[in-house]
Amino acid sequence: MPRPGSTSCQSPCHALSRRRVLGLLGGSSGFGSLLQPAIAREIAKKERQVCLIWLDGGISQFESWHPLPGSQFAGPFRNIPTSIPGIHFSELLPHTARIAHKISVIRSMCTKDPNHSTGVPRIQRGDPIDRGVDYPYLGSAVAKLLGPANSELPPYVWIKPGNGGFIAREAGFLGAEYGALALGDGKAPIHIHRPESISAQQDEARQILRERANQRFRSYRRASEIDAYETSYRVARQLMARKDIFDDNRIDPGDRERYGTHPLGRHILRARDLLESGVRFVKVNSYHWDTHGDNFNMSQRLIPQIDQPFAALIDDLDERGMLDHVLVVLMSEFGRTPVINSRLGRDHWPDCWSLALAGCGIKRGAIVGNSDRDGVFVDGTGYDIGDLFHTIFSVLGIDPRRKKYRHKGQKLAIAHDECGPIREIMT
Amino acid sequence: MSAAIDRLITTKASGSRAPAADDAEFFRRIHLDLAGNIPTATQTRAFLGDKSADKRSRIIDQLLASKNFAEHWTDRLSVMLLERQQLSQVPHDEWRTYLKKSLQDQPRWNVLVGEMIAATGKGESRAAMRFLGKGNHHRLTEDIARLFLGRDLECARCHDHPSVDDWTQAHYWGLYAYLNQTRLATHSGEKQSYFVENLATKKVEFQSVFFDEKEDTGPCLPGGKEVPIPKFEENQGFKKPAADGLPAVPKFRPRELLARDLTSGQNHLFARNCVNRIWAFMMGRGFWMPLDQAHSENPPSHPELLDLLERQFVAHQFDIKWLLRQIALSASYQRSSRLPPGEKEVEPENYRVAHLKGLTPEQLLHSILRATGNEEVRAQESTGEEKFDRRGYFTGTNTGLPTAYADIRTIFVETFGQPAGVPEDDFAPGLNKALFLMNDRLVLHWLQPRKHNLVSRLAGIESSDAIAGELYCSVLSRPPEEEEQQELSAYLEAHRDRRTAALADLAWSLLTSTEFRLNH
Repeated sequence: MPRPGSTSCQSPCHALSRRRVLGLLGGSSGFGSLLQPAIAREIAKKERQVCLIWLDGGISQFESWHPLPGSQFAGPFRNIPTSIPGIHFSELLPHTARIAHKISVIRSMCTKDPNHSTGVPRIQRGDPIDRGVDYPYLGSAVAKLLGPANSELPPYVWIKPGNGGFIAREAGFLGAEYGALALGDGKAPIHIHRPESISAQQDEARQILRERANQRFRSYRRASEIDAYETSYRVARQLMARKDIFDDNRIDPGDRERYGTHPLGRHILRARDLLESGVRFVKVNSYHWDTHGDNFNMSQRLIPQIDQPFAALIDDLDERGMLDHVLVVLMSEFGRTPVINSRLGRDHWPDCWSLALAGCGIKRGAIVGNSDRDGVFVDGTGYDIGDLFHTIFSVLGIDPRRKKYRHKGQKLAIAHDECGPIREIMT
Repeated sequence: MSAAIDRLITTKASGSRAPAADDAEFFRRIHLDLAGNIPTATQTRAFLGDKSADKRSRIIDQLLASKNFAEHWTDRLSVMLLERQQLSQVPHDEWRTYLKKSLQDQPRWNVLVGEMIAATGKGESRAAMRFLGKGNHHRLTEDIARLFLGRDLECARCHDHPSVDDWTQAHYWGLYAYLNQTRLATHSGEKQSYFVENLATKKVEFQSVFFDEKEDTGPCLPGGKEVPIPKFEENQGFKKPAADGLPAVPKFRPRELLARDLTSGQNHLFARNCVNRIWAFMMGRGFWMPLDQAHSENPPSHPELLDLLERQFVAHQFDIKWLLRQIALSASYQRSSRLPPGEKEVEPENYRVAHLKGLTPEQLLHSILRATGNEEVRAQESTGEEKFDRRGYFTGTNTGLPTAYADIRTIFVETFGQPAGVPEDDFAPGLNKALFLMNDRLVLHWLQPRKHNLVSRLAGIESSDAIAGELYCSVLSRPPEEEEQQELSAYLEAHRDRRTAALADLAWSLLTSTEFRLNH
């Protein structure tokens, strides 16, 4: 079982608590770099950030990025031209077709796992070589490797339907502090709100009492635990002060219109605002893309829900000059079978599928990779998920060949040792 | 024994040491460590007023014999052993009752661990089998190595440990070979599962990911002798035939041998590991740290003392209470956490100053309930009607307050504990925990004046000095300093139009202070 609480045996003579406490202050932990907020804010302006949009269950490549009209397994939809001459997407992606020149699409993903239960963690961990440890998901990995981009905000925020809270499980061996602040249906956990029974004035007054009590206690004692505890309150109060970024009432009605009022639209809009506020890594989850039955009607209903807000996000980031340092990744755990089953569905297909990326060192308008005529297998060599992770880390300025995790005395590669970055989509 | 502890601790500690903890500091610490709760204001006042010379040793004995000791150490041991995982079909309550019974009486570590490892699920061993979970061989190998031998052998499953020379892949597989015949089987009549063992006929094969050669081993403790796997004539290997859906019982049962050999006084790793963990619970850090890194490149800070404690612990038949008592009686344990004058930082491994320990989720909840005068909450049972919607409580869709103690306890464990499967041996402040104590409706509800709770009591007191006395004694288990009295008086004066709310503010500020959050 994973034991993120244990530490490296490289420096065994150091106290666990002390090191973790210092980590919290020194910036290696989730909410670090607090000691110099002004400097951190300055840096945040150019910090690289990530938005991962996860379509859980698997979007059909035929009905989106890689339509093959006229081929053996084509569906009923037409293809439409995009803003890149000669490149076509499915007609279900009209908005994205308009901004195709701003993004890259890989049409030759070839991964290994056709099961959701194992595929989701495997893909989101980048499927590294098995070393008997629980690797972190991408968001926790980036939180660990880059830390927070803005000292006032947690580095990893996860927007998802359903419940929110503080979710540690994606952090794997990195330990709970690299988990996600999860916004259930885009909303902040309830404890970010001061109850009505406490006025702002009263809160300020009681906090001053608390701080004074801590100062008195601190004056005769080893400071690190005490400072770490005080820091957690400071971070909590800073986040409360910024809770406007979770406030639905502040959303511009025009934006709401452009992104769409369905959950995915609202959540991607929230993601934009969080990125703008300086959150390092935002994941947006959408469920129910598993179109084993009635694939075409489902695709017709679902794909517009990603088309519209995805294009709006790319446009907004571009307009605000953020696309140079914000990486956007839109993907699932696999694609869908060429063969249409008896329920007019498409099943799981890891052998040849597509995904899209944009921003932060990703080329604009690079549509790469191809399949055989019927979209069954990759034409030439496909890209594995490890290649994608090398690409993501590389454009974030992390060298996956040199940077290692340290865990219980082992140096662990951050991405699959035998993969490499996908140069043809990198600037 | 405690004199020997102090001699060996002070010999090593160069530089000035903190003075002895004053009575209040000691009294709060010993209550938290042995009974899992802060003392009541009444208890604190009585102890501070007691002039007898032996009052510290008397309270140690009293607490060790108390029900609260059994309750608290059941939490401690259970969290250490299971790490809050629900792996077994044995109900948690049954497991707790089992631990509690042992702790009330005379808890012997070798007996407890032996019972847990050898458990079949029959009769009295039903509760103990919770430790075995579903009988996953790798999980058990790793947990037994880590929890009972202080060795985190996870890496050694696939190859010799990369940075620890004395941990080999053979150690991992030697332990594994004690366990790999174990599985759950269901009795056809009783519809209940029991742990059974298949007949081992050959050694376990393993191979390093770095080399081509295969190796093999029979059951073997790290540094011990390999247990030969006996050869039986056909059908002669069983002492009881298969029946009722349960397989035949083999004559050779390595898991039983593990229970015996692992916990034997000859197995130094086992006794030392327990001493180290109990020492760490009490003293805030182990002789070696992290607790699962017992190897030659991570030598103990006080080898002589560790040897002595190990020998004496074995001589006292692994009696946990005996060990706790010796530590609690020592001046090293009873040192203040205040730095000696002129010192800013001290090296932690020399125990010149008492370590600051975070409260466990249970200690925190129980202490908050006691401090705020809401202890009746602990007796509140679930009404059995609708299940409290905990998720909704955290997301805001459930605007009710939990009343059942079990729900409240779970809320605290989820907020202040580690995720299941992660050891809780560290003070880990965090954003969500701070937000909870700041804004949780239940915590604030406990600070509303009701019946005889703290804020209601304070509201009935006139003089601000008397208020300060009651407040500090109730929450921080000590009398206030003059500066604190003045601050309180000034605060009440400034907020005189909202006096009761101001009293709640004052109580809140102490509840959320570091002094309260830590066992210092």
